[in-house]
Amino acid sequence: MAEEVKKEERKKRKTATEAASKIGSMVKAAIGGTVRAKEEGKKLAYSFIVCSYDEIIRAMDIVPVWTENYAGICGAKRDAQRFLERAESLGFSRSLCTYALCGLGFDQWREELGEMPPDAPWGGQARPDMMLSSGQILCDPRNKWYQAAQQFMPDVPIYDVGLPWPLYEDDIEISEVQDYYIAYIVAELRGLVKFLEEQTGKKMDYDRLRELVDLGERTWNLIWETYELRRAVPTPMGTGDAMNTMVPMVFMLGTQEGYDFFADLNRELKEKIAKGEGVVPDEKYRLLWGGGLPSWFALTDFNYFNSKGAVFPVETTYRMIEPIYRLDIPDTDDPLERLAWRWLGYWTYWYDRAKKRPGSEPDVERLIQYIEDYQIDGVVMHEAFSCRTWHLGLIWQLNQLQKIYRPIPVLVLGAGDKKKMERRELPSLILESDIVDISSYSEVDTRNRIDAFIETLESMKKNKADTTN
Amino acid sequence: MSGEKAHGMAKVERYYEDYGARARELKAQGQGVMLYLCSLVPVELISAAGFVPLRIRGSVHEPITKGDTQLETIACPFMRSCFDISVKGTYDFADGIIIPHACDSMSRTYSVWRYSLGLRYAHFINLPHTVRGASMEFFRSELQTFRKSLVRFAGKEITDESLAEAIDAYNENRDKAKAFYELRKGDPPLVTGTEILKILTVGMSLPVHEANELFDEVLEELGKRKDSPLDKAPRILVDGACVDNIDFIKLIEDSGANVVADSLCIGTRDYWPRAETGMDPIKSLAHRYLDKVNCPRTYREKVGDSYEDDLEARFGDIGSLVKAFAVDGVILYVYKYCDPFGFEVPAREAYLDQLGVPTLYLEDEYSIGTIGRMRTRIQAFLEMIA
Repeated sequence: MAEEVKKEERKKRKTATEAASKIGSMVKAAIGGTVRAKEEGKKLAYSFIVCSYDEIIRAMDIVPVWTENYAGICGAKRDAQRFLERAESLGFSRSLCTYALCGLGFDQWREELGEMPPDAPWGGQARPDMMLSSGQILCDPRNKWYQAAQQFMPDVPIYDVGLPWPLYEDDIEISEVQDYYIAYIVAELRGLVKFLEEQTGKKMDYDRLRELVDLGERTWNLIWETYELRRAVPTPMGTGDAMNTMVPMVFMLGTQEGYDFFADLNRELKEKIAKGEGVVPDEKYRLLWGGGLPSWFALTDFNYFNSKGAVFPVETTYRMIEPIYRLDIPDTDDPLERLAWRWLGYWTYWYDRAKKRPGSEPDVERLIQYIEDYQIDGVVMHEAFSCRTWHLGLIWQLNQLQKIYRPIPVLVLGAGDKKKMERRELPSLILESDIVDISSYSEVDTRNRIDAFIETLESMKKNKADTTN
Repeated sequence: MSGEKAHGMAKVERYYEDYGARARELKAQGQGVMLYLCSLVPVELISAAGFVPLRIRGSVHEPITKGDTQLETIACPFMRSCFDISVKGTYDFADGIIIPHACDSMSRTYSVWRYSLGLRYAHFINLPHTVRGASMEFFRSELQTFRKSLVRFAGKEITDESLAEAIDAYNENRDKAKAFYELRKGDPPLVTGTEILKILTVGMSLPVHEANELFDEVLEELGKRKDSPLDKAPRILVDGACVDNIDFIKLIEDSGANVVADSLCIGTRDYWPRAETGMDPIKSLAHRYLDKVNCPRTYREKVGDSYEDDLEARFGDIGSLVKAFAVDGVILYVYKYCDPFGFEVPAREAYLDQLGVPTLYLEDEYSIGTIGRMRTRIQAFLEMIA
């Protein structure tokens, strides 16, 4: 087992915003904080992001250990291979989710040693007191990872929270099914509270939970308003930075620190817009990151796009919020019900729009909305080989987008050299690699693809200019 | 076996080679046909609505081509093959398709299936991931939604009585399927694993009453066998996800072993569990499909104090099969990119190790192209356990 893969020291990636540049140290402090919390006897829970239980665990004073985050850190530091290889040696296929493989390899090693693996990135991932799985409509690993980890930690209990939402159907309205979805989600969250009460020996303070849910909702609204500022031309913040600012969005929800971060970012973006300051000095192409988790070890690819004058004012990835006031959450004093309605409202947010456009569906509607709102010239996606959750259906979404939405009218030479109107498809690029496993990545190949894509954009821009002159 | 005796098996052969032929015939006669994926779709509801349920089958022989223009190659290769076969028009005669929340490869591609096949009806059944009381209640509601949706499409009521009848018919079908396994207990077994898989696969393509008649016919034929077509050889159980082509089973048998049992779909996992009768039929179906079908996509809370106790609770059904069929070795057969099974491989290996059964873990790609590599591994395993 090549456990001693030499770490590659890398320069810190240049961010467009001050706020995003602070994320690295925030994450480092948070991870170090979990190790200290363990030493102080606090209860730690292995947790997944976007599981609607953020405020619940915060209200119970449980310290979340975000296992996907730690795997991403290992990937970003290009130090995941030794953990992936260890997982593989235990019998896990390398084709499985590499967040999970990295975590399982790490956990097994830590349990075997009785201490952190040598040179564990940022001090290592602390041993949990409990693990909070999640059974959703997506992400099988969230349902299987912690169960697999019990092989090394059989004493650590799991609670698997059921968090479904209805898939989009032509013949079924959400109103037909929402009551039993809400009832189930609330029951699952109550079950979680009961489990946490048993594990901690303390009762849930529902007043405090109400306050945190309120804070979480205000944070959602603030993030949405802040991200909408990126519509400005030139855009003051790109997806590269958003892959940093997702940290306070999904790892700090229900904390004042998370809210304050976005208040600062909001101020910073407004200042940049007032000064006309963009991600790049000369913004040529506005791109939509239309799907796929990023390669955490290659975030500098966003800077490479920037070097060509291309910016990403918007992304679907890790924009895990919608404005609360648009989610039709009914009045209720029960914070668990509020969480359930927020959950269902988020995942079904685009359904009504999809019903209005034949051949569309929610994910495609979301792309269309962003293309229009953010004046998008092209779509870029990333297909990570190890993750089916976020990377299946992307090709189809692009195909469908081209079928039902052709937003760029251009004049081309037709028969008899007469100019005629034609609608050009939105150019798109799908990059291929992984989230954590760097062995799947080729910088040369990736950048060649980016170059070719930029050439396409350039050529389209030129055509457009020629035909409008 | 005489020509007369082989009548049922001849029909099996024909329907196996021309899979879906009977459904196609029935469609031409005016009956509706409903496609479905995976073992987690309650076929009883489809049947009670007056449709012929036809399980979508892939092909390890057919290169995936058209499917890959619409679907990422990181999907489960079995599901990709099913999709490829479907978009190439194999099942164009069908009225609709039903996909369950089995795994990401199915859930995340529901839209792709729905639009690419362009059938008149599509429905997604959202199974929860746990088997707690609230999950059962949710799943019952979800099955009622499916029932309403089918009724709207079929224009025909699904009464509790018709549903109970369908449950009875499928229970009968499952009893007969289980009876085939009795013929595998002898040494050598009276039937080959290849034959069993063909029979059970064909059963998934017929109206249940016709499947029952065919199973009766074949049971009678096979029951009359005096001599086994097999020699005594190591007795193998195949554990894994969905196997609906005989090639892998045949490969094991051609390598000098007898496949005597399985923990597979299509196999004991989906054929053996019965639905309870004498109760609310929706409640019965919810219990069968969520709890009784022991698929790793469903999370089962840890049982007992030790990890070993938990393994017994999760995989005890495999242990029972190992004992009942006097199994000498287990081949754990998992497809690449299968997260539900993939994350269980070390646990399954640990359980089988606990039982003292030699195990071979193979990760495959649902393609005949890997057969050479598989053969080498299987032969080495058989030499080891001989």
